[in-house]
Amino acid sequence: MNARRSNFWALFWGALAILYFFLPLYGTLDFSLRMKRGELSLQAYQIVFSDPRFWEGFRYSTLMALITIVISVLIFVPTVYWLHLKVPQARPVVEIITILPFIIPAIVYVFGLIRTFSRPPLQLTLSPFTTDILIVTGYVVISMPYMFRAVDVGMRAIDVRSLTEAAQSLGSNWFQILAHVILPNLRIAILSGALICFATVMGELILASFLVRPALGPYMALLGLTKAYEPAALAIISYALTWFSLGLIQLISRGGTAQQFTGR
Amino acid sequence: MSHLELIHLHKSFGHSVAVQDFNLSVQPGEFVSFLGPSGCGKTTTLRMIAGFELPTSGVITLDGRDLTYTPPNKRNVGMVFQSYALFPNMTVAQNVGYGLKIAGKPKAEIAARVQQMLALIQMEKFAARYPYQLSGGQQQRVALARALAIRPQVLLLDEPLSALDAKIRLELRQEIRRIQRQLGITTIYVTHDQEEALSLSDRIVVMSQGKIEQVGTPTEIYNEPATEFVAQFVGHINLLPVEILSPAEGLVRLGNQVLRAGRFGHLNGKAVRLAVRPEELNPGRVDGLNNLSGRVESVTYLGSIVRIRLEVEGHLLALDMFNERRLKLPRSGEPLDVHFPVEACWLL
Repeated sequence: MNARRSNFWALFWGALAILYFFLPLYGTLDFSLRMKRGELSLQAYQIVFSDPRFWEGFRYSTLMALITIVISVLIFVPTVYWLHLKVPQARPVVEIITILPFIIPAIVYVFGLIRTFSRPPLQLTLSPFTTDILIVTGYVVISMPYMFRAVDVGMRAIDVRSLTEAAQSLGSNWFQILAHVILPNLRIAILSGALICFATVMGELILASFLVRPALGPYMALLGLTKAYEPAALAIISYALTWFSLGLIQLISRGGTAQQFTGR
Repeated sequence: MSHLELIHLHKSFGHSVAVQDFNLSVQPGEFVSFLGPSGCGKTTTLRMIAGFELPTSGVITLDGRDLTYTPPNKRNVGMVFQSYALFPNMTVAQNVGYGLKIAGKPKAEIAARVQQMLALIQMEKFAARYPYQLSGGQQQRVALARALAIRPQVLLLDEPLSALDAKIRLELRQEIRRIQRQLGITTIYVTHDQEEALSLSDRIVVMSQGKIEQVGTPTEIYNEPATEFVAQFVGHINLLPVEILSPAEGLVRLGNQVLRAGRFGHLNGKAVRLAVRPEELNPGRVDGLNNLSGRVESVTYLGSIVRIRLEVEGHLLALDMFNERRLKLPRSGEPLDVHFPVEACWLL
């Protein structure tokens, strides 16, 4: 009797949670399909996809996301590796540093960037290229909590110290250890971090808006001010992109090679 | 000339001293075990030989070459870890061949050596498997083959059997010894298991609190422990506080009972303890031998042996007997006499 009652409440709360999460999404999807009066159509999506500014924003954000991922991997993999191997006592300090992007609002951060880098000696806001350098460094900082944690979790899943020492005793130098032993065993962790990083950069608004770069975030915001159905279509596209990334993470980490890479 | 020499090795971590004044010469092909409780410095010493820790002072030489500050990847020393440390992203064959690949050996040579090593550990059929597809014992065998594949000058094993269950541990222990003898490789083995050390080693280094307590063959360590620590750490021992009656003859007194010690060279007239192994004691009195009278405190079955605890002059004394079917065991509270040879006991 008790078990039946608890089952009922579990189902009830589960259903309520699903409604809470999916009802607004369904509302947005339904709205995005009602551009033509009296019928369901993909017209809003067609308009978005035929807009060259959308593709410009998409291409720009994708490129920035990829550069951000490469730089993040180059920074965080060796950093977390060194942290695990040589200075584990510094972990609490580093963990606090990595959650700073969650604590400091992006608007404060971007004003800091503009104030610091729009004047000598390091004036980076003068040309689009140098502004792109600035925006990528900003994206690296914003995505730091995700990339750091993904790599950190991956490192915890393997016995970094023993693997490093085993490789050393077999003649490997530091580069060979990272390339042959550590990186291949962190593939899933790095990929997970990279996909979250990608989703974060693709939807980022504040940095791109204030640094005046043609990213997808500002385009979505601009469209939201002037149009009705297209922003809804864009929101669904953005959701799809994020869910696709998350699905990919799930697929890879559940795949047959997962055990092989984590050794479990 | 010695193969591996550790000269006045000292290692401190901040204010904590891990190893102090460690001196050891290891001959080619010798199997030496570092035995001691946790925190005695045995693993730190091994890690200094491997190059994972730098000594605070002292020198390590291998065939006359000073290795003290040589990086681990340039030492040509093979290492087997307690946690196996196989590379999860590589197959068994790739793991075994990894060191040769790093050394830039030709593919054909690597393949031949991998085959040879897998044959040595009797795991030829497992070449294509990944570590997670192997049992703990199999993984440790692969780790051993991987360490040996590079033809190291010294093989280091850091408690390689600790993570395995008792049966596999016994099998693998014999296999390690077989392979070591077959290859004639100089081996340093770290363990806290006295049985492992006694059964495997040519020589044992017993350590406590960062210092060497005794270096000797298993027989020397067991039968002639140099210190009270060694006597207590290796095997079971009875230590009875005695009073010296005649330093010249080794005569001592326990309560009202007089005994003679077999070894008493270092007697200095102070109160000492008489050491005797439980298996040296036998029930009954025999003229000409040491005899003690006491009362049975408890009788405990330990499988192949039965341990009887006697109370003698207010002290507990253990006596081990083989568990034979016709054995008549005394009951708790009964009086019991025991005897043991003079040469089976010594003064500490």
